[in-house]
Amino acid sequence: MRVRGLSFFPNFLLREVVIMFTTAASIFLLASIFPASLLDPANPFETPKPIFPEWYFLYVYGFLKFWTWDIGPIKAKTMGIVISMVFFQLLLILVPFIDRNTEVNLKKRPIAVILGVITIAAVLFFTIYGIVFE
Amino acid sequence: MMKQLYEWIDKRTKLSKYWEPIARHPVPSHVSDGVRTNPVYCLGGIAFLCFIILVITGMFLAMYYKPTPDEAYESVRYIMEEVPMGAFIRSVHSWAANMMIAAVMLHMIRVYFTGAYKPPRELNWVIGVVLFLITTAFGFTGYLLPWDQLAYWATTIGIQITSGIPVVGPYVGKLLMGGGEIGPNTLSRFYAVHTIILPLTLALLLGIHFLLVRIHGISGRYL
Repeated sequence: MRVRGLSFFPNFLLREVVIMFTTAASIFLLASIFPASLLDPANPFETPKPIFPEWYFLYVYGFLKFWTWDIGPIKAKTMGIVISMVFFQLLLILVPFIDRNTEVNLKKRPIAVILGVITIAAVLFFTIYGIVFE
Repeated sequence: MMKQLYEWIDKRTKLSKYWEPIARHPVPSHVSDGVRTNPVYCLGGIAFLCFIILVITGMFLAMYYKPTPDEAYESVRYIMEEVPMGAFIRSVHSWAANMMIAAVMLHMIRVYFTGAYKPPRELNWVIGVVLFLITTAFGFTGYLLPWDQLAYWATTIGIQITSGIPVVGPYVGKLLMGGGEIGPNTLSRFYAVHTIILPLTLALLLGIHFLLVRIHGISGRYL
């Protein structure tokens, strides 16, 4: 397939290099201003408060706090873990097999767009829920 | 001089046969029109750059770090306070890790909304999700290594949650801890997973990920 556009080398690569240097510079700047922390040594007999997982696991943590309903014999905690860890990741992997619509234009795939926005909103919501509601 | 060197190498490797089609391959105009570059198409590349920074800083950290409960904390304190540039290297490692996860997430959102997972790219989406999970596994295993209060207790919560998965959970928890509790076995296996198993797996899958992008071309409006 013929595509009109910039040739990869050197035109496009130059742009990539500019972005790479900008990204690296931001990381170096952040690392200089906010160094990585090191708290007290691990003590298995003293639980610090409050304790949070890494920010990218907070949505799981938040969802576990949110989901308090037992479904039949299945405990609420088990339900929360299954939905947020197993079910959600499986759903992500299966996206191309669930959405069989071959249209790529945003306006012509409203269901996929709405579901995508809801998913992002839900992940953000449970992330905040995980921090705020103790 | 450089030209002669290039020709000498090329005669023996036929390198130009492989790299010149890649170099001449045009980038579609919706990614970059020669004046402006669409930044959402840079996210995967940014994640890759972060990975390279993480590999390099990780190598330096591995020279000083000691994965045992008695020495881990002390070795990280030594890196932070006494190794020249040690605090900077560790901070860059930590920031690049967070930046990588953010870039991978945003890359995934970009691929979703541009419909770039549609045929024939389904397999590359699946590989991408696995790459995302590996990236978070890097974060999870790396978090324990400093062996400070945050490391110990965040990992405790993480393993408790994982052990709650029905049927397989308890076994996965035992496998992660290398026994019944977080101790020396946990630390050394997290270190092995973080510095050997995950980097090799990620590098292999990244190779396939990039190869498939090369085979399919960049997705977008010309489809």
